[in-house]
Amino acid sequence: MVSEPKRITFLRHAVLLLFVAISVYPALNVLSISLRPGDQLKTTDLSIIPDNWTFDSYIALFTEQPFLRWLANSLLVSFAVTVTGVALAAMGGYALSRFRFVGRQALMLSILTTQMFPATMLLLPLYILVAKLNLMNTFLGLLVFYVSTALPFCVWQMKGFYDTISPSLEEAARVDGCSRMVAFRRVILPLAAPGLVITALFSFMTAWSEYIVAAQVLQDRDMFTLPLGVKSFQASMSTQWGLYAAAAILVSVPVVIVFIVLSKYLVSGMTVGAVKE
Amino acid sequence: MATVSFRNVNKVYPDGFHAVHDLNLEVKEGEFLVLVGPSGCGKSTTLRMLAGLEEISSGEIAIEDRVVNAIEPGDRDIAMVFQNYALYPHMSVRENLAFGLKMRRTPKQEIAERTAEVASTLGIESLLDRRPRELSGGQRQRVALGRAIVRQPKVFLFDEPLSNLDAKLRVQMRAEIASLHHRLKTTMVYVTHDQVEAMTLGERIVIMNHGRIQQAAAPLELYRRPANRFVAGFIGSPPMNFLRGTLKDSMFQSEGMSIQLANVSNEALSHEGNVWLGFRAEDLVLNSDGPSLPEVELEVVEQMGHESIGYFTLLGERHSIRLPATSEVNPGSRIVPRLRPAGWHLFADDEEGCRFARENETAQV
Amino acid sequence: MLDATRELPANLYRRKPAWRLLAIIGLLITLSGCSKQDDRHVIQLWHQMVVNERLFLNELVTEYEKQHPEIDVRLVFKDTEELRSSFQAAALAGVGPAIVYGPSDVLGAYHTMGIIADMTPWLDENARAKFKPGGLTYLPAKDGPQRDDSQNRDLVQVSDRFGNHLALVYNRKFVETPPQTVEELIEIGRRNTLDEDGNGRNERYGLVWNYEEPYFAVPFITGSGGWLFANEENTEPDLDTPQMVAALQLIDDLQRVHGIVPRGCDYETADSLFKSGNAAMIINGDWSWGDYLALERIDAAIAPLPIVTETGQPMGPMISPKGYSLNKNATPAQRDAAMQLITYLTSESSQRRALHSLRILPSRTALYDDPLLTQDPTLKASREQFEQGHLMPSGSEMRAVWDAMRPPYQAVLGGAISAKDAAAAMQANAEQAISLLQRDDQEIGGSWLWAALASATTLGLLFWQRRGLATLLPDMRRQPLAYLLVGPAIVLIFLTVVFPFFYNLLLSFSNMSLTHFQDWGFAGSQNYIDVLGDGQFYAVLLKTIIWTIVNVVFHVGIGILLAVALNGPIRGKAIYRVLLILPWAVPAYITALTWRSMFHLEYGAVNLLGNQLFGIPPVNWLGEATNAFIACIIANVWLGFPFMMVIALGGLQGIPQDMYEAARIDRASRWQQFRHITLPLLKPVLAPAATLGAIWTFNNLNVVWLVSNGGAPSNKTHILVSYVYKEVFNLYRYGYGAALSMIVFVILLAFCLVFLHRAKATENVYG
Ligand SMILES: Nc1ncnc2c1ncn2[C@@H]1O[C@H](COP(=O)(O)OP(=O)(O)OP(=O)(O)O)[C@@H](O)[C@H]1O
Ligand SMILES: [Mg+2]
Repeated sequence: MVSEPKRITFLRHAVLLLFVAISVYPALNVLSISLRPGDQLKTTDLSIIPDNWTFDSYIALFTEQPFLRWLANSLLVSFAVTVTGVALAAMGGYALSRFRFVGRQALMLSILTTQMFPATMLLLPLYILVAKLNLMNTFLGLLVFYVSTALPFCVWQMKGFYDTISPSLEEAARVDGCSRMVAFRRVILPLAAPGLVITALFSFMTAWSEYIVAAQVLQDRDMFTLPLGVKSFQASMSTQWGLYAAAAILVSVPVVIVFIVLSKYLVSGMTVGAVKE
Repeated sequence: MATVSFRNVNKVYPDGFHAVHDLNLEVKEGEFLVLVGPSGCGKSTTLRMLAGLEEISSGEIAIEDRVVNAIEPGDRDIAMVFQNYALYPHMSVRENLAFGLKMRRTPKQEIAERTAEVASTLGIESLLDRRPRELSGGQRQRVALGRAIVRQPKVFLFDEPLSNLDAKLRVQMRAEIASLHHRLKTTMVYVTHDQVEAMTLGERIVIMNHGRIQQAAAPLELYRRPANRFVAGFIGSPPMNFLRGTLKDSMFQSEGMSIQLANVSNEALSHEGNVWLGFRAEDLVLNSDGPSLPEVELEVVEQMGHESIGYFTLLGERHSIRLPATSEVNPGSRIVPRLRPAGWHLFADDEEGCRFARENETAQV
Repeated sequence: MLDATRELPANLYRRKPAWRLLAIIGLLITLSGCSKQDDRHVIQLWHQMVVNERLFLNELVTEYEKQHPEIDVRLVFKDTEELRSSFQAAALAGVGPAIVYGPSDVLGAYHTMGIIADMTPWLDENARAKFKPGGLTYLPAKDGPQRDDSQNRDLVQVSDRFGNHLALVYNRKFVETPPQTVEELIEIGRRNTLDEDGNGRNERYGLVWNYEEPYFAVPFITGSGGWLFANEENTEPDLDTPQMVAALQLIDDLQRVHGIVPRGCDYETADSLFKSGNAAMIINGDWSWGDYLALERIDAAIAPLPIVTETGQPMGPMISPKGYSLNKNATPAQRDAAMQLITYLTSESSQRRALHSLRILPSRTALYDDPLLTQDPTLKASREQFEQGHLMPSGSEMRAVWDAMRPPYQAVLGGAISAKDAAAAMQANAEQAISLLQRDDQEIGGSWLWAALASATTLGLLFWQRRGLATLLPDMRRQPLAYLLVGPAIVLIFLTVVFPFFYNLLLSFSNMSLTHFQDWGFAGSQNYIDVLGDGQFYAVLLKTIIWTIVNVVFHVGIGILLAVALNGPIRGKAIYRVLLILPWAVPAYITALTWRSMFHLEYGAVNLLGNQLFGIPPVNWLGEATNAFIACIIANVWLGFPFMMVIALGGLQGIPQDMYEAARIDRASRWQQFRHITLPLLKPVLAPAATLGAIWTFNNLNVVWLVSNGGAPSNKTHILVSYVYKEVFNLYRYGYGAALSMIVFVILLAFCLVFLHRAKATENVYG
């Protein structure tokens, strides 16, 4: 890459540093709460590491709470949602981007419409649905709901990414002897990697941080996903802030790991030079 | 090597646009056929139907007597070079070349050999491990060409492969493609909107307009005997000059000006209504005794070195005349252009604009 | 390293598809097979107990299961409000736990809805006599045959304790003897309100408590000689009284005149200040005392609240029995088993154990002889306070009164209105809320007419689209792949949405409410008339639009800015990237709360930093309507920008570098390059995200709710969804809520149609 004028580099760092500070500070506050003894949400001072800091909350999470169990449940559900969500969105988005089929426009809009309903109002019918479908207390029920929550965005996003990839690439592949599906898999999909990453990240986050539906579906403490477990430390006027914050910090660790792993593909910049417009 | 035939092929896009009308065309074995026409005339559509990338609405296309309407592009044994190269950006040049062979389960050994061979003929051996984005435009085009060649297909398809290159590179690549055809002798169908490319490359040229074939013929034939006013105006640079008028007993008349023509066919004479008189810049001369045009004033003179082209206005239209380099005319000079005998064409003034052949025309060529 | 990165993706997809298929099938099996199955009789019990109580309950239940091996008790904790709404939903769905545990104030609503059963058959006269008055909660029998029971009432809750009463907790390091009167309270408070280092902020306050919640104002009202209701059944609110005005005045004076209470003192602020030794006294409920007593840093003790001198009345808090209720959906066998468990859990021996380990007040008369009640100072104080307390009404009106009190109450504390006006407003609000709550919209005839109209519309639409429908089948045959690819996603997306959507549509034309919870029927367009005829709706809508626009603009703007900044030749990109997604990674349900504390008037980081770095005077972020709204927006912008940044980052990868090179040759400035290359090419990727972002933001309940603590101050920070939520979950106006959400739906649909049409966002750049 060409090196830029010093002025521009400086500007980049300045902007990034400013926003890093803004994004890190509130998150550090959570860390601070988790290190505070005695379940205090607030303090009167600004220091991040409290004077009498302790790891008690973290220790308690692993020793007194079924934290690892929740973690395993959450990983299982989130992984399943990510795989299903990415697979279905990769296919659906492709069809929407490349084929002109009957009702395509209407379909795209109606996918959006599913997001337009205030979720809180859906809880009551959702409960009835879960009960009637016998999905109470199963991960499958959760999977179905999470995937269907994540899919509208994922499908649209994938469509958007495919739209930026020139169709002549897959035409070339088809002339080269691929079937449509093989051309899709071997040529288009690798090029849509940034889109797949975003879709995966989003699906993962949908499943990873959701607790309202989970609270309706899961009734067993042993089957709780992480957010449900974390939320069980919270109660109006008697929250266990230490555990709550410590758990929240730990909940974000896998997200960061997933992001680090995926971000390679997010910024791989592969479509560059693909075609000449 | 193979023949290609289009039989009553139509293309109607889903939005109802009729892009190709009842196309009938035979491409001979080993022929270099060029499809040319203005933008939007349906060249690409035709080519893409042949490639299998676009559905055929009606009619059939056959490659070597096998109707391919329902056959996947990959199974038609064709190769195609795209205008935007369409190189696989996530593969190296080598992988790009090998991809089609791999898809056909060619043995590894053979893939390596053929890739190397093609790379050396195209002079891209040193680029084999690079990615497309690390190549220049010309190099990318070469790789795209190589990707087609390495497959050794029955038919090569090109969709404006050179239009993204600069003028010099274009000339060079043009020559390379020509020599390629000479060497491989494979059937090639080449789409372009550039008539120079068409004239220099094509053994036969198909001129299309509005989704219809206007004329399919060898380059010189097209030039000398355009089938209609569209072809006449499309082929040749500068374009053919036209005057609109009536024909009275071999006398072309237009707004007080009359030109006596010889060898006008009966067909033309019996035509009712207006006609167009067409003549090329080189069919106008200054010192001879052909039928003369009125005296005009030269407005622009383009020097080409070996000759120059002068432009003047007649009856409100711009016309061109080819002048020898020796002639001493400047903008502002007044000249009396004369028509060379048999240096003119008559076209009907209707939608088709068909040409009326001159008497004894077949004797020429 | 760079090359390795490039290599990977291509390889990623080269794995055998069969391997993946197997993995997915395996996963699905694991997922569905994960629920525990055994043949024991399951009793579900939902409760809202705090941690140590939870542990104790667990102990009791484990023992019970040992004695009754055929029984499997499943305890589920849910926070109070969530417990209530979940139980209502579950009961309506015909399922739910056999037993719910909680305070008595929800019983009226449960009972009116007909979702809890009468427990009289399991408790005979003799057994009932063993409970203290109030220990068993009865409500007038709703319907069904008149029983010979002379009183004709239902037993809806059997309690195991009394609780929720407030008392004074004081730190003995600062306060030797607790105040007996309000004057002493003020005096001690003043002595303990100190600014030791003279920086203008007090290091210690005399008194703290959850200043924003009317429940905590009750002792002041009773101390002034008032109460909340005019009649004995506690159904007619009586809030516009001189006693109320006096109480409000007193509360306001403590802060404004005497200065012993910090400003912006919500529950968490009060709690934290007391726990860290920055407050001498706190008024808080019995649920919190255990924590205070256990903390070594402070030397906490409990005392009854003082006496108001003018009236001579003690400040009496509300007390609520807490106990077990029976789900109406439980089968007879489940009921028997559940009642057996309840009997065990409320038995004398269980309660005695609770008394000794949890130090809570039992509901059985016999236990009041226990010496511990006089020996243990905490229990002694608790009992004393209990004796001055007032039983919390269990009717559904109570909830309406809290709701009615909150906005004027917060307005008085914010100095927006006078105590007298507030009292009047409370009364007016309460009357209106109760009439809404009890509104008995009758089912109206003519539902067939509407049904016919709906079917006609559907048919009309189908007819209008008949061309498209007719081409569907041929098109499916022509390009089956398209339908195969998009099919699974579509099925899954709509699987979970279609039923809820039509259910809501039905509800929106129904009279479903507290009075018609299960037997709801068609009520015409009344709900829509109510929504659209309410002036507040338009104000809230306007605010919602502002909220959405501002948020999305900042999300997308900052997202693009950061992506562009990251997308250049600079060092430390990977680290920047990770740090910048933190707001997305850390769960919002906690970061929203940290934002709330960062906005605190005195201790919040925003004001402290603003003051220390830039000398900006402190801003009352949360106590003032506009500021609170801005605070919500800031928090939400913070939460949302990383997502857009990630998307923009992904989108930037598709832009060929040579476009910039070409532009540079054309002497385009950086801004022009951005404007004419980056933005247009980002569009296909960003447009869907921005559209959906707008929809999500429009419907984002969480942040507003958490940051503003449910619309505080005075319900001025609501957006449409939180407004719906409040109406539905506080006043049980399900039909109304459904209509409102249908309207939200239509608004968003219209927005999308217009926006997508103008942005051509569904269209491919390649045509
Ligand atoms: N998918 C489509 N739907 C509808 N009309 C189309 C579609 N693709 C092409 N057309 C129309 O069909 C006509 C022929 O298009 P085609 O691409 O074959 O033109 P062309 O001769 O290759 O032109 P150019 O030299 O500009 O490439 C054009 O008018 C074009 O607008
Ligand atoms: Mg074309």
